[in-house]
Amino acid sequence: MSEVKGLRRWWPEMAATAGLAVAPFVLPALGFSPDTVNRILVWGLFGLGFDMLFGYTGLLSFGQSAFFGTGGFTAAYLLTQGMIGNVMLALLVGTLAACLAGLLVGMIALRRTGIYFAMITVAIAQVFFFVENSPLSAITGGENGIPGVPAPVFNLGFATIKVGSGWSMYWFLAACFLVGLVIARRIVASPVGAILVAIRDNAARAEALGHAVWRYKLTIFVIASAYAGFAGGLLGVLQGYMPPDAFTFDTSGQLVIMTVIGGTGTLFGPLFGATIWLYLHDFLQGPMGLGSAWRLALGLIFVLLVCFLRRGVLGGIADALHRRRTVEAPESSPALVPESATPHVPRRAPAPAHGGPVLQARNLTKRYGGLVANNDITFSVDEGEIRGIIGPNGAGKSTFFKMLTCEVPPSSGQILFHGQDITGFGVARVCQMGLTKSYQVNQLFGRLTVRDNITIAALAERRGQYSADLLRRVGAVAGLDRQVEQTLGLVNLTQRADTPVSALAYGEKRRLEIGLALASSPTLLLLDEPLAGMSPQERVETVKLLRNIRQGRTLVIIEHDMDAMFEIAEKITVLSEGRLLAEGTPEEIQQNRFVQEAYLGGVHA
Amino acid sequence: MITWPNFVSQLFNGLALGALLALISSGLTIIYGTLGVLNLAHGAMFMLGGYAGFVVFNATQSFGLAVLGGAAFMVVVGVLMERIVIRHFYSRPNEDQILVTFGIGIVFVELVRFFFGSDSIQITPPSWAIGVTSLGFLIYPTYRIVVTGIAAVALLILYLVLYRTRIGMIVRAGIEDSGMVDILGINVNQVFMLVFGIGAMAAGFAGIINAPVVALTPDAGETILVETFVVVVIGGVGSFPGAVLGGLIAGEILSLTSMVDPSYSQVMLFAVMTLVLMLRPQGLFGQKGRA
Amino acid sequence: MNFSSRHFGISTSRRNALKAGAGLIGGAMLPWAAAPARAAESFPAIGTYPAGTAGDTVFIGITVPRTGTYAVPGEDLLKGYQLAIEHLNAGDALIKMISPHTTTGVLGKKVISGVADSGAKPNEAVQNGSRFISENKASVITGCVSSAEAVALNKLADREKVIYLPGISGSNDTTGKDCARYSFRECYYGQTAAAAISPVITKAIGANKKVAYLTPDYTYGHTVHASMEEYTKAAGWKTVTNQVCPLGSPDYSSFLLNIANSGADVFININFGNDAVNSIKQANQFGILQKQTLVVPYNTPFLARDVGPDLMAGVFAATDFWWTLEDRFPIAKAFVESFEKKYGYKPEWGAQAGYMQIAMWADAVERAKTFYPPEIIKAYEAGVTLNGTVGPVSMRPEDHQLIRPVIIVRGKKKADMKSKDDYYDVLEVVPGAGVMQKPDAFGCKLGPVT
Repeated sequence: MSEVKGLRRWWPEMAATAGLAVAPFVLPALGFSPDTVNRILVWGLFGLGFDMLFGYTGLLSFGQSAFFGTGGFTAAYLLTQGMIGNVMLALLVGTLAACLAGLLVGMIALRRTGIYFAMITVAIAQVFFFVENSPLSAITGGENGIPGVPAPVFNLGFATIKVGSGWSMYWFLAACFLVGLVIARRIVASPVGAILVAIRDNAARAEALGHAVWRYKLTIFVIASAYAGFAGGLLGVLQGYMPPDAFTFDTSGQLVIMTVIGGTGTLFGPLFGATIWLYLHDFLQGPMGLGSAWRLALGLIFVLLVCFLRRGVLGGIADALHRRRTVEAPESSPALVPESATPHVPRRAPAPAHGGPVLQARNLTKRYGGLVANNDITFSVDEGEIRGIIGPNGAGKSTFFKMLTCEVPPSSGQILFHGQDITGFGVARVCQMGLTKSYQVNQLFGRLTVRDNITIAALAERRGQYSADLLRRVGAVAGLDRQVEQTLGLVNLTQRADTPVSALAYGEKRRLEIGLALASSPTLLLLDEPLAGMSPQERVETVKLLRNIRQGRTLVIIEHDMDAMFEIAEKITVLSEGRLLAEGTPEEIQQNRFVQEAYLGGVHA
Repeated sequence: MITWPNFVSQLFNGLALGALLALISSGLTIIYGTLGVLNLAHGAMFMLGGYAGFVVFNATQSFGLAVLGGAAFMVVVGVLMERIVIRHFYSRPNEDQILVTFGIGIVFVELVRFFFGSDSIQITPPSWAIGVTSLGFLIYPTYRIVVTGIAAVALLILYLVLYRTRIGMIVRAGIEDSGMVDILGINVNQVFMLVFGIGAMAAGFAGIINAPVVALTPDAGETILVETFVVVVIGGVGSFPGAVLGGLIAGEILSLTSMVDPSYSQVMLFAVMTLVLMLRPQGLFGQKGRA
Repeated sequence: MNFSSRHFGISTSRRNALKAGAGLIGGAMLPWAAAPARAAESFPAIGTYPAGTAGDTVFIGITVPRTGTYAVPGEDLLKGYQLAIEHLNAGDALIKMISPHTTTGVLGKKVISGVADSGAKPNEAVQNGSRFISENKASVITGCVSSAEAVALNKLADREKVIYLPGISGSNDTTGKDCARYSFRECYYGQTAAAAISPVITKAIGANKKVAYLTPDYTYGHTVHASMEEYTKAAGWKTVTNQVCPLGSPDYSSFLLNIANSGADVFININFGNDAVNSIKQANQFGILQKQTLVVPYNTPFLARDVGPDLMAGVFAATDFWWTLEDRFPIAKAFVESFEKKYGYKPEWGAQAGYMQIAMWADAVERAKTFYPPEIIKAYEAGVTLNGTVGPVSMRPEDHQLIRPVIIVRGKKKADMKSKDDYYDVLEVVPGAGVMQKPDAFGCKLGPVT
C-alpha cells in the first residue's frame, strides 16, 4: 500500500515528464513552433517560483522582472565576457545574484503586506530597470541588452552534446523545467510549504503558533527570485541574446496574468497560462487578424477569469475534481464526548526550576493614544494552577492577554515567564517557549482541513521558529503524526480530520481553536473565552476537556460564564476598567464587595 | 545647473508637477481609504480621461466643454466599474481586487488603442492660455500655470467635500473605521459608488487638463500609476493630506534632482520612498495597522 | 501553395495569391516558375538555405514597430519594403535601375513576405525574427526603428546564418562594435550625421556658441551626443548643459527649464520618434525655440509634418533622404512618384531606406546567382557601386555600412513653402566617404561566414 502511495505521490512529476517527452511530436501539429514552446518553458519555470510566492503564500509581487533581469544579465555578462565558460555555471551564478537581489528587496518590501507590498515591488522593479538601462549600461548594454549569449555544451565523456536552437534547445529547457518542477513540488510538500499556505490564510495566527512568519516570507521571496533569475538566464541562452525588456513592468505583469489564467496554487498554472497566452498572441494576431487588439482580447479573458474562475483554468479543474470527491465522501456526524480520557501531557521538557511563579506581570500598562486599556497591573500565576480572569466588558482582559503573549508590547511594565523577562520577545518566540493562547474570535486557517490546521500548530513545536527544511516531507517530521492524531482525539475532531474548516459547525471550530493552541504543546495556556457561543451541552464537554488538559500545564482562562469559572478555577483575578480589582479563591471573589459592586452590581441593581 | 533663477524655476515646476500628482493620487487614496480597494486601473483612468476630453474637444472645439464632458464621462465610468465589477470584490482578498483592477486597466488601455491607435494625440489649450508668462526672471508656459491653478482648486474642492459635507464625513468615517459606517445605518452601497466615481473623476480630470501639455498615448497611464504609488506610499495610503503632501514632495524631488543630474530624477523618487518605508513604514500621514 | 503561416498577417495581397496559385498550375506561363533552381545542389545547407528557397518563392520576414513611440516611422518603413517587393515581383523599371540584373522576382522566384509588430522592443523583434526563420524559413529578416532592435537582430542573423537588413538605426554600434557578418545597413548614423551637419551649422550659426543638449538616455542618444560635441568643438562650441531624459517621457518640463535657464544659443535635440515631436512642442511652450536655434542631428521621419512649419522654420537637421532630392536624382524622382501614387503621400526617409534595402539585396542575390548566404555576402562585400535614390552608393566590406551621402536640410518658413509637403530647403548633400569613421574605429569585428 505504501509503495502504491509512494508512486501516486509522484504522478504529477511523471505526468509532466511524459507530457514534456511527447510535446515535440504533438505540439507542432497544433501550430506551435519550437520557438514558442521554448518560450513557454521559460515562462513556466519563471512562474514556478512566482506561484509559490503568490499562489501558495499569497504575496502578490508585481516586481518579479527585477530578479528575472538580474539573473539573466548576470549570466549573460559572465558568459559573453568569457569570465565563465560553462553555461550551467553561469546560470547558477546568475541565480545566486538574483537571490541576493531578492534578499535585499524582500527585506524592504516584506516590511509591509497586502497592497503596500504590491506597490513597493512595482516601484523597486522600476529602479532595477533604470539601473540596468542607465548607470550600468556599460555592463548591461543599456537598451541594446547583451547579444551573443552562447548555448550550453555538455561533455559526457563519450560524447559532446552541443545544444542548438529549436527542438535541440527544447530538450535542454525541458530538463531544466523538470528539475525546477521537482524541486518546487518538494518545497510545496515540505513543512515550509505547509507553513507558507498557513501564512496565506492567516499570517497572524501562524506567527502566534510560533512560526517566524517574516523569515518564511523572506525565504520564499528569495526562492521565487532564484527561479526568476534562472529563468532569466535561460531566456538569454534561448535567444542568444539578453533583452533589456526582461526588466520592464510588462514582464512582471505578463507573469501575473499567465499565472492567474493558468491557475494559482497549482505550480503548473504558469506553464499552462503561458501556453494560452503565447498561443493566443500568435493566433489572434495571425488567423484572427486582430492585429494589436490581441491584448484587448487577452485583457478581457483575464478580467473574466478573475471574476468567475479565480483559481484559473487548472485551479478550476482541480476544484471541480475535488468537489466531486468531497461530495462522494460520507459526512460523519461527530460524537461529542471525547473517546479517550487519556491525560494529554505537554511534550516539552519542564522549564528549569526557579522556585518562583510561572508567569509574572509587573506594573503592566497599555495606552492606545489617550485611552488607557490596562493600568499598572501586577499579576502572577503559579505552576500547575488554573486561574480565571473575569471582568465586565471593556475591563481590558483581552488587551491583558495580548500583552502576556507578546502580541502587543506594553506601554510600560514587565512580563516574566519562568523568571525570564520576555517583554518584547514577540509572539512567535514566546510560543516557542511554551506560552500560547486560544483566541476569543476563532483564528483558523480557513482554506485548510482540520488535520492541516493542527499540523501547522504541531510543526512549530517540532521544528522551532524557523527551519529551512525545504526538501523534507511533512510526514517525515519525527513524531508529528502522533502529536497531530493525539490532539485531534483530544479535541474530538478525529472523524472530521479531513474536513475543510469552512465546512465545520461553530462548536467544532471552537474546539479546533483550542486544539491549535494545544497542538503547540504549551506549558502555560491562556484561553480567551473558550466557552463563548457554545451550547450548554458543548460547554459541559469543553469544561471536561479543560480539566483533561491541565495535567502538567498551567491554565489562565478568561470567561464570562461565571458558573463554569467558579467550578473550574482555583483562583480568580478580577479586572475592572483596566485595573486589577481583586484576586482570590472563587468563594472570596463571590463575597468581595468591590467585585459585587463593580462587576455583578450592574446585574443585581 | 544650480543657479538661483534655475532653482526658483525648478521649485515652481516641482509645485506644478506636484499639484497634478497630488490630484491623481488623492483619487487613488480616497478609493482605497473608503473601499479598501487598491485601484490598479487608476493610471488607465488618467489616460482615459484625457481621451474622453479629446473626443469632446474634437466634437465641440471647446476646451471648457472638453473638461466638463470628460470629467462627467469619468464619473460614469467610475460608477459603472464599481457597480458591475468592484462591488463583488469587497469581500474577496486584497489580491483579487488588485488583479481585477489590473485587468480592467489593461482593457481600458487596449480599448483606447483599438479606437484611437497608438499615435499620440493632442488637445490645443484655450487660446487665452497659449504663450509664455514671465514671472520676474522665471519664464513659464501660461497654460501650465493655469493647470497648476486648476489642480489646486480641484484639490481644494475635494478637501471641502471631504471635510465640510455629510458625504465627506461618511467617507472619512469609512477611512477611520470601515465597520463604523455600517453601524451608522448609512446606505454604504451608494456612498461607495459615489466615492469610486469621485476617485475616477480625480484621475480623469487630471488627465484632461494635462492633455494639452503632454502628448497623450494609450500607455500614458503606466508611468503615472507608478509615480502615484510612490506618492501614496510616502504620504500614507488612505490619507488625503498624505496624498497632497506626498504629491508635492514627489514633484519637487523630480524637479530639483534634475538640476543636479536629470537622469537620476526617477531613481531619487524611489530612494526617498525606500527611506520613508524604513523610517516610517505607514507613510507620513498613514495610520499604523492599516494594510 | 502554402506560403502563408498560421501565425502572421501575411501581407501578400489576394491578387498576388491568386497569381501565385495560378503559377502552380500553369507554371510555365509565369517567369518565376519557369526559372530552374540554379546551382542549389552545389552548396551545403546553412541557415534556412536551401529549405527556404526550395519552392518557387523566397520569404522576407518584416518586423517593424506598429505600436508605441516609433510606430509612425515604422509604418513608413513598412511601406517602403512592400513597394520594393511589389516592384521586384512585377519587374518594375525603377527597381531595375538600382538592381540592374533583376528581371522579375529574385533569381526568378517570387518574393513573399510576412509582417509582425515589434513595438520597438528588442525582445519582440527577436521573437518575430526567430519565428520567421523557424516557421517561414525566411531567407531575409528586415526591419527596426531602434538600434536596440537592430543590434539584437544582428546577433540573431549571425547565429541563425540568415541575412538581416536593418531599417532605421542611428547608433554607431550597429555597424560598429555590434556589427554582424550577416547584416548590412543602408541608412546614415550618429557619426556621419554629426560629421556632416557640424560644419554646416557652425558656419551658419557662428563660432563659439553655447550649446544645450536634450539626450535620450540610451546608447543611440549618448553616441550622437558624443559625436556632436566632438565635431563642433573645433568651432569653439561649448556644452553648457546635457539633459539626459528617459525614453518615452511624457513631460519634459524639468529638463526644458534647465535648458531655458542655461543661457545656451543652440539647442540640440537628439530625441527620436514621438519623443522628438513631443519635446520640441514642449520646448516651444517654454519659449526656448525663440531664443535658441534648434538643431536636430538625427531627423525623425514626419517631424516637420507633426511639429508644423511654424516651429520648424530655421531648424537645422541632418537626414537620410528628403523628397525634393527628386530635383537632383532621377531615381529619387521615380521613387517619390511611384510611392506617392501608391500610398498618397511623399515618402519619408524610412520608406526610402526600406526600398533601398530590398533592392540592394535583390542586386546582391542576382550577382551571386544563388540564395546560398555566403555567396550573397560575398556579392555584398564586392563593394560594387550602385545607383541609389541619393546618387551612387556602395557597401563598405569591412563593416557592412553603406557609403552614402547625408542630407542637410533647414526648415522653411510657411510663406516660402511651395506645396504642403515642402518643409525643407536641402542645404547640402554631404558625400558619405568623407564623414565616415575608419571601419574599425568603433570596434567592428565581423563574425565568421559559416
